[in-house]
Formats: sequence, C-alpha cells, structure tokens
Amino acid sequence: MSRKAITLLMILGGLAFMIIGYFSSAPWGAESVRNSNPRFDFAPALFVLGVIIAFSSAVVYELLPTREEDDGAGE
Amino acid sequence: MTTEVDHPSARSDRLPQGVGDLTTPWKAFVLGALVVLGFGVFAYIWELSQGMVVTGMRNVGSMGGASWGLYITMVVYFIGVSFAGMTVAALIRLFNLNDLKPIARFAEVLTVVALLLGALAIIVDLGQPLRGIINLFRYARPQSPFFGTFSLVIAGYLFASLVFLYLSGRRDAAVMARYPSRLQWFHRLWAAGYSHTPEEQARHRRTTFWLALAIIPLLIIAHSTLGFVFGLQVGRPGWYGTLQAPAFVVLAGVSGLGNIIVLAAIVRWAVGAGDRIEMKVFSWLGRFLMILLFVYLYFMTVELLTLLYATPEVEKQLSDALLGGRYAWLYWGSVALLVISAVLLVWQVLQGRWRMSWLVAIGIAVNLAAIGKRYLIVVPSQTHGTLLPYETGSYSPSWVEYSVVLGLFALGALLVGLFFKAFPALPLSEEEVMSDV
Repeated sequence: MSRKAITLLMILGGLAFMIIGYFSSAPWGAESVRNSNPRFDFAPALFVLGVIIAFSSAVVYELLPTREEDDGAGE
Repeated sequence: MTTEVDHPSARSDRLPQGVGDLTTPWKAFVLGALVVLGFGVFAYIWELSQGMVVTGMRNVGSMGGASWGLYITMVVYFIGVSFAGMTVAALIRLFNLNDLKPIARFAEVLTVVALLLGALAIIVDLGQPLRGIINLFRYARPQSPFFGTFSLVIAGYLFASLVFLYLSGRRDAAVMARYPSRLQWFHRLWAAGYSHTPEEQARHRRTTFWLALAIIPLLIIAHSTLGFVFGLQVGRPGWYGTLQAPAFVVLAGVSGLGNIIVLAAIVRWAVGAGDRIEMKVFSWLGRFLMILLFVYLYFMTVELLTLLYATPEVEKQLSDALLGGRYAWLYWGSVALLVISAVLLVWQVLQGRWRMSWLVAIGIAVNLAAIGKRYLIVVPSQTHGTLLPYETGSYSPSWVEYSVVLGLFALGALLVGLFFKAFPALPLSEEEVMSDV
C-alpha cells in the first residue's frame, strides 16, 4: 500500500473513531436520564483515540520508508 | 544515501547552542528548580494523604467557600499560555514568516510544557485523581464543554503539538546526530533516518502545512470550550455571557505572547543568539501583543459597562466585590498592568524603537495580569452573588496550594531547561546544516 493510501486510511479511520466515539458518548434521542450514560463504557476514550490516530497519520506520512511505487505517485 | 546532513567528516565534541554543555549556572538553575519542585511534591503528597481539607477550598454556599480555587485558575492560565505558542508556530509555517522562524521551536516547546502543566493542575485539583481520570474516559458527556476541554485540549491539542514539534525537529536532530556525544542516541532516535533529501524536504513542507492548517481551528475550538466551561453556566452570576469564549482566546494570546517574549529574551541571552533573534522578532511579537491587548481591553470595557448598566441584584453584589470590595485590589491591579503594558507598547511603536528590557517587563506584567484576571473569573462568582440565599463566602489559598502551584512552575522551567540542554533552542540555520562540523 502506498504512503498516501496509508495516511488517508489513518485520517479516515481516526475520523470514524471520533464520530462513533462522539455519538456513543452522547446518546442522542435518549428519553430518560437513566439512559444518558454513554452507550458503552469508555466510549469517550474512543473519540480521543480517533484524534490521536488522525494526527499520527502525519508521522506515518513522513516516516514511512519510500518505495518505488511511491516515487511514481507524485511524491 | 549520503547527503550533507550525515556528512562523514562530521566530528566535534561541542554541540551547537550549548547543547549538552552542563555549565555551573545551568546546574544551579536545575538545583533551584528541583528544590521548589520537591517542596511542591511534598505539599501535594500532604494534600493526598490529608484530603482536600488542607487546601483553602470549601463548598460553595453551605460552607461559604469556593470549590474551584487557585488550581483551576492555573488550569485556565496554563492552557491559555499554550495557545500562543502553537498559534505562532502554525502561523509561521502557514504564512512563511521567515523573520519569526527562529522562535518557532521554543514556541512549540512552550505549548507542550504549558499543556502538561495545565493537565497536572487539573489532577492536583481532584481529591481522587485516578478516579477522575478513569471516569473521564468512561462517562464524559460530549454535550458538556468539559468534554471539549479535556478531549480536545489535553488529548488532541497536546498530541498534535507533540507531533508538530517532533516532525519540525527531525532535520536538526539529523544534524545533531552527526556529532559524537552522549546524546547521539537521542538525536538519532528523533531523526529516525532523516537525511534531508529533496523528497523528504518536500514531504515535510506538505505535512507541516496541513498540520498547521488542522491545528489552528483545533486551537480556537479548544480554547473557546474552555471559555464555555464558565460562559454556559446560567446559574452563576458573572460567568454566563457571550464574551467568555472569545475573551478566553484573546487573553490566552496575550499571556502566551508575553511568555514567548520573555523566553525569547532568555534564549537570546543564554545562547548568545543576538544575530539570530533580532530586534525585528521582538518588534513582531510586540505589535501582535499590542493588538491583542487592545482587543482584550475592549472586551473588558464592554463587559464592565454591561455589568454596571441596570444590573440585577446578584450581579451587583459581584460587581461591587470586584470594583470596590474584597477583590478590588486584584481587579484594578490587573487592569493597571494591562493598560500600562498597552501604553508602553504604543509608545514604542510611535517611537519606532523597541527596548528589550521594556518588552520583558511587559511580558511579565501581562502574565501577572492574566493570572489575576483568571483568578477573578474563577473565584468571585462562587463567593459573591450566589442565587440561593447564602451568606457571602470567602476563599484564600492555603500554603499547600501555593506550594503545589510553585512546584508546577518549577517543573515547567525544569522541563524547558532540560529540553534545551538536549536539543537546540533555535532551528539550525541552513549554513549549519550544510557545513562540516
């Protein structure tokens, strides 16, 4: 897989974690206070993990060793 | 591939900018910081073992106190300081502000250290820190501004700042790794194979550009949510208001820029870098600080006029305490420091001449004022003008709180001091990168 593809995948994966983490922590539509806790334990941690994955993509983009196919991909 | 960065002829015992050179003044500084830090740790252990009763904090209303005191004041202050560091670093990258490039690294370091101190200031405020940390990740509610503050500021913003600092330092780490020294392993680890090829340079430019672009909105959101922690509380006179979030961001910029000016002057003196950190750098920072100061003074005036015009009774109690009562010395003292700083900056702009000593004094003054203003945001609304029929309360920090806060400052100074003994405070010049050692 190319450098750009891995980076993009990490950014999208991070965003997905953030969205899932956010909506699992904030149970929109819950009608009772009893249901106001996150839908599962440590859902907010998922959001934080998403942020970390998304920003880690920058490190991966710079540090990943160059391969021949990357050179041809307009790096 | 052998390039200029890993030049085989590189040999020297002395690293640039005094890195690794443990001078007597530096050792004395470290010793002093360790003593203060040690006392802060002792005070914190005392607080942990005896409970929060050893602090000056008490319940609001029923115990006539304030449950957020000096620690929360310092949380807001430290996170505010972090704002300007990364903002300046990101703006330098986005707009290619070459004049300011020499200060980019310590602006980034200031952000990281200030965020760590902010996180620690939250932890010392908790009677059960472990429970607080676990429950935050377990039960935090995104509808609450605390979620934004903790998840975006502590996790996102701190991590993004570390990534930015790490990536922007790789080139210099690769240069430093050429020098045989005790720190060579550290510099090699940081460089992670960087060899300054045109492809790597282009990739680095792209990464830092997008990182800077992503970090700036994150900064604004993070600092606004910190303002919302206070600004959204309808039941607390003095806190509820639209201006809290933008005023938090602006005062954050003021205190952070003040810190950068002081740090720049110290680095300039310590490294002997008068030719690298020229007066035009201070002129930039001074002008930037002046603009933010005027914006903040405008916000403050608008807030004051709103508070004084047809004030509800509880708000009046608060404004009386601020303007002529218990907190008046702190309020007017902070205002005076901000106004004098603004006047001195305007004077230097009009004269077209910048004085280092004045700028350092202004940097310190605006930070003292910022701590005062943060204290005035946090504490008086809890002790005065509660909506329930309680007597007026009071709050005075105890020796434990003062010691812990001083310990945090010492830890910050120590981290900055240690970092710049292991890594150059200023980005190496292109000549240094290309030259033989």
